Amino acid sequence: MPETPRPRQPIKPGFFTVPDDPAQPPKLLGTRCEDCGEFFYPRRALCGKCMSRRTVEVELDARGTLYSYTFVHLPLFGSTNMEHADGYGVGQIDLPEGPRVQAPLAGKQPEFQVGQTVQGELDVLRDDGGTDIMIIRFRPLGEARP
Amino acid sequence: MREVAILGVGMHPFGAYYSGKTNAEMSLVAGLAALDDAGLTFADVNAAYMGHIFAQVMSGTRILKEFGLTGIPVQRIENASATGSAALREAYLSVSAGHYDVAMVLGFDKMTSMIQSGTAGTAPENLEDAILPAAFFAMWATRRMHERGTKPEHLARIAAKNFNNGALNPMAQRQAKERITAEKVLSSGMVAWPLTKMMSCPIGDGAACAIVGTVEMAKKLRPGRPVVKIAASTLQSERYERGHIFQGPVVGPARMSIDSSNAVYEQAGVGPRDLDLLQVHDAFAIEELEYYELVGLCRPGEAEKHIEEGAFEIGGSLCAVSTDGGLIARGHPGGPTGLAQIWETTLQLRGEADRRQVRRKSGDLPRLGMCHMMGGGSVCVIHILQRV
Repeated sequence: MPETPRPRQPIKPGFFTVPDDPAQPPKLLGTRCEDCGEFFYPRRALCGKCMSRRTVEVELDARGTLYSYTFVHLPLFGSTNMEHADGYGVGQIDLPEGPRVQAPLAGKQPEFQVGQTVQGELDVLRDDGGTDIMIIRFRPLGEARP
Repeated sequence: MREVAILGVGMHPFGAYYSGKTNAEMSLVAGLAALDDAGLTFADVNAAYMGHIFAQVMSGTRILKEFGLTGIPVQRIENASATGSAALREAYLSVSAGHYDVAMVLGFDKMTSMIQSGTAGTAPENLEDAILPAAFFAMWATRRMHERGTKPEHLARIAAKNFNNGALNPMAQRQAKERITAEKVLSSGMVAWPLTKMMSCPIGDGAACAIVGTVEMAKKLRPGRPVVKIAASTLQSERYERGHIFQGPVVGPARMSIDSSNAVYEQAGVGPRDLDLLQVHDAFAIEELEYYELVGLCRPGEAEKHIEEGAFEIGGSLCAVSTDGGLIARGHPGGPTGLAQIWETTLQLRGEADRRQVRRKSGDLPRLGMCHMMGGGSVCVIHILQRV
């Protein structure tokens, strides 16, 4: 008998999609200003640049350029699966539309380099009574660039 | 507008006291020291601004009762790390405008109790809020290394300088027993690559107080003692620019330090080269390196060269920075931190800074000192103090 897929939920509603097909990458849920064209992540009621109220919700590919990163060697709010013996990665990713996203990284420190392309993927943070609580982590796409 | 002076300053030493000291006990020590330094009693105080981040609601009003119940207005000011600095600015504005003649600014916090009760074992419900300050500033460092070729050794030299300055300050939390070298800083254990433990400020407790009044009053109260006035004050939040990160608490966008320092230089009618000493928000060593350039002590990309030359040490060629040890060695409990900068700068300008006293090339006492604080959210608060 095929196993029923476990229900999956984003850690915070309205931040990113959790596609039914686990093979599909998530989309980031952002905002575009209809007056000045600026994009934002996460969603905003008002445009952060021109303060227009004419904003629309958009889905953004969770793929961009690594602006900076670090590996943290402190326990993060007690025990989570983000703890690793050699630290957990955190990065700032510039999306092609403009927003800079701050998020955990998937992978080891030597795999990362400023300027490389990274792709967001879903990861299980914890099991919440039979439901998987999902986060986004960014992983290097292909070889690191010099 | 009236000219405003720092009438008195006082501190309780910063340290990791855990249950050993209450906020009220530390505040009383700092507040009475500041009143004594000013030559005043609490009956002379017309208004009080209480700066605390982590203490409970009402803490400010309750702690002020320890000094006396005189009916004066008392308010809490909170602006993250810049809490004490923001509270000083409110006192400055009210005295300057003539609403009060004497205002007390008291900052206190027990960051150790916050850490013990607040975060242990808590699930990160808001992951975007869980990007720790150490990580945020480490990413500044990674980017700087990419753009400018900065080495961890440069950050280590800044931290070592601050540890060695802190060893000359009895109020400092970290009291190094021996001279600290860059090598020791580099080998102190990684917090967030490339920032090590000794490149990062410690968790701690403490209290600091400044009494603010008019320049005329300062002259009358302490005849013969140099008068330290607040030559300029600014508090700014961020302007939008591409690349802003809207997730979680943000600290220290570059533009804010540039704009804020330009604003205070203009108010005070001075430039960065006129400064004899500078205190900055060096919660992590990379910050101090960036602020050298952002407040104009040197040109963009030149900080590393000047660090190698020791230009920011006491007696260095450009400007003495973090003379009391900075957040890294003096400590950073939160509420009192900005006022600890005022304590240090006031003592330096009066020539009362003992073994860490800054002198101009001529041998004279320093004339101008600047205090720069960043607060999460985020804000930048800068004051320029001047000996008159």
